[in-house]
Amino acid sequence: MSYGIMLAILGGVLAALFGGVGSAIGVGTVGRSAAGVVAEDPSKFGKVLILQVLPGTQGLYGFLVAFLLLIQIGIMGGEPLDLTPAQGLMYFAACLPMAAGGLISGIHQGKAAAAGVALVAKRPEESGKAIIFAAMVETYAVLALLISILAMFNITGIITAA
Amino acid sequence: MAKLKMKYLEIAAPVTQSKSIFDYLQLQNVIELAQIEQTEGLVSLGTERTVANIEKYYDTAAKALKALDKYAPEKKGLTAAFKPLPEMTVSEYAAKCEEADEILGVCYDVCEGEKTISEAKAQIARNEAAIDAVTPWLPLDVSMKYQGTASTAAYIGTLPAEYSAESLKESLAAYLADEERFECEIVSSSENRSCVFVLCHRECAEQVFEALRSIGFSYPSDPTKHPPKVRYERLKKENERLKEKTENAVSEIKSLAGRRSDIEFVSDYFSVRRDKYKALGMVAAGNSMVIISGYVPANRADKLTKDLDEKFDVAWSLTDPAEDADVPVLLQNRPIAASVEPITEMYDSPGKADLDPNPIMAFFYFIFFGLMLSDAGYGLLMTIGCGIAKFKFKPQGKMKKTVDMYFWCGLATLFWGTLFGSWFGDIFEVIASQFMGIPDLGAHLNSLLGFNLFKDGIALWFQPVNDPMKLMIYSFLFGIIHLFVGLGASFVKMWKADNKVGAIFDVIPVYIFVTGFAVIGSGVLMEVSPSVQSAGKWLLIIGSALIVLTSGRSSKNIVGKFGLGLYGLYNTASGWLSDILSYSRLLALGLCTGVIASVINTLGTMPENKIIKAAMLIPVFIFGHAVNMAINLIGTYVHTNRLQYVEFFSKFYEGGGRSFTPLRNNTKYIQIKEDK
Repeated sequence: MSYGIMLAILGGVLAALFGGVGSAIGVGTVGRSAAGVVAEDPSKFGKVLILQVLPGTQGLYGFLVAFLLLIQIGIMGGEPLDLTPAQGLMYFAACLPMAAGGLISGIHQGKAAAAGVALVAKRPEESGKAIIFAAMVETYAVLALLISILAMFNITGIITAA
Repeated sequence: MAKLKMKYLEIAAPVTQSKSIFDYLQLQNVIELAQIEQTEGLVSLGTERTVANIEKYYDTAAKALKALDKYAPEKKGLTAAFKPLPEMTVSEYAAKCEEADEILGVCYDVCEGEKTISEAKAQIARNEAAIDAVTPWLPLDVSMKYQGTASTAAYIGTLPAEYSAESLKESLAAYLADEERFECEIVSSSENRSCVFVLCHRECAEQVFEALRSIGFSYPSDPTKHPPKVRYERLKKENERLKEKTENAVSEIKSLAGRRSDIEFVSDYFSVRRDKYKALGMVAAGNSMVIISGYVPANRADKLTKDLDEKFDVAWSLTDPAEDADVPVLLQNRPIAASVEPITEMYDSPGKADLDPNPIMAFFYFIFFGLMLSDAGYGLLMTIGCGIAKFKFKPQGKMKKTVDMYFWCGLATLFWGTLFGSWFGDIFEVIASQFMGIPDLGAHLNSLLGFNLFKDGIALWFQPVNDPMKLMIYSFLFGIIHLFVGLGASFVKMWKADNKVGAIFDVIPVYIFVTGFAVIGSGVLMEVSPSVQSAGKWLLIIGSALIVLTSGRSSKNIVGKFGLGLYGLYNTASGWLSDILSYSRLLALGLCTGVIASVINTLGTMPENKIIKAAMLIPVFIFGHAVNMAINLIGTYVHTNRLQYVEFFSKFYEGGGRSFTPLRNNTKYIQIKEDK
């Protein structure tokens, strides 16, 4: 096994790790607020549950990046590529947007969604707006996911062409 | 179809008929009443007290229903939310109203029972606390207030530490002289509290008490008159009695569960009456006549006025609302466009100058939803599910629109999923290759068909995961079309508002500029022929020049015009760039669904042995895809809304309108229909 492949795996692990951490914190934050609201009015469960799920996507995106990476470098279902350290570092770098973007946007989406839960508590008819506020944060996780995936695919293109 | 034109209707009617007119208007669900200004000779009917009374009855019914839900919950099927409310004709309703007083009595009974239960529960809790307090004293067989006999003094109380009879004796002896004798008994003792009984001769009572005080003695806060056991048993007995009382009250409420539908009826009945009296409070009345006024959709005004003439002795006038009047907005669309109305309403109702965005939005909504969910299997499930809900339960109102919307979104998802060859991820290919020994299902099917139907795997077009750049370019293209349609809507809006200069100067240059911009930009992502490139370059230059020349036209002097023009160019460029890039989420979310779906299938087929593999695949498939579909449905819904709200609406839609809220029978459990 080469250093290259080690660096690549490290990148994928970081994406899954920090995406998961961001989501865990975010979903946890919303969950606490949501429980308070449901204690007062159990009929709001459905509405606050949707808000709680929202910051969960970062973990999913991180998982997706890690999984795609494992396929790209042949760890899953194929022969592992023989990567040079420079190539491994490229994959590592490709995973970083998702790792950092997932962590930070997950936490902040959690905060926005928790505030949205407070909005739903007072004005349940406005739950759509609460969802939109939280979803605004997610844009940056989506962009991070996109750049990580595109970078990864194109790096594989460069390596296999060479 | 779009926003309905509103008319202002004024009706003058005899006071004697006012109530029946209101009953009629309420049933028609067609007029939004406006408060009439009080002028000379006309007064308000002053219905506040009646409204307050009815409100009280309504609350009682609501409370009774809540109590029933708590103690005798009704089993509701999952499909209950889709079903329309049971119907009742006006005459059935009127007949049932006779029973309202009796049913209200039932409501009071239920509320009384609920009150008994909550009071008893509170008393039980208080008693439990008292029982806990007296438990440590149970071994004591005199009253806790016992003071001793003629020659002895007794001290009963607590010490803040654990003592045994010996250790207490030792501690006290330290404070007392030898001849000051006493006798002590530990009633009970725990880690940080001891209940003690100390007896001594009257002569040395004071010294003993001082000694006790110095080790922290205190009298009990609530001493018993009799031996503690007496109180303990009394409380226990009382709690049993209270528990029995609670159970009786619960079973009494349960026995009234059969009246649930009656109580639901009166809840609706009071809600309807409350609204009617509120409405009555808004009319102006003279000695013998009332004046009712409000907004009516123009297309229903004729029938309404004709009916009013036939049924009542009224005079009416129908006019166009004043320019500055706060006219409510009512939308009317064909079912497909109407299905996205709740989405628009969640943003805001269209304002006075706005176009109804729903007809143009609906198409894009479905297309984008489908692109982001992008799995034919999930789309098929949605279509079938919503189709069943639609035809079996025949939902109405907002629920009908929502079901319709997901039905069309499901079809769009099915469409895109087929193009991208994603059926629950790659389940068909997985089954073919893992269980049937067909490594390339698409090629196999093509050879069976005799022509190349499947291009890439089983995709009719291509698989995004194999060529993400291609889908990215298409995402941007769809985005530009979406935004251009929005810009077109703003052109129409300005043109209609007689701002023709604005329509031409604010819209046409942007079209030219963005087209050029897009052509140049696409060169970054794909091969573009040089002639197209140079055409794009010229469009960009002409567009920029036009924007610089026109967007500063509000300024008076030449420098200001130029400065504002440059600023306009910067705004257009940066705004449109970020708007267009935002559509990359179409690709990202689409990839996300498809890849995770395939991951689930991969996880399910990990074992080597085919039988174990099949046994594992089935539960993994069901659970995994259920979770993936649920998460992606939420994500897709949210991001589709966002593309409409932030990117699309910002081009032309202002909102700020007020939805039409007619006087109607605002019921929750039944719907009242006209007699046949």
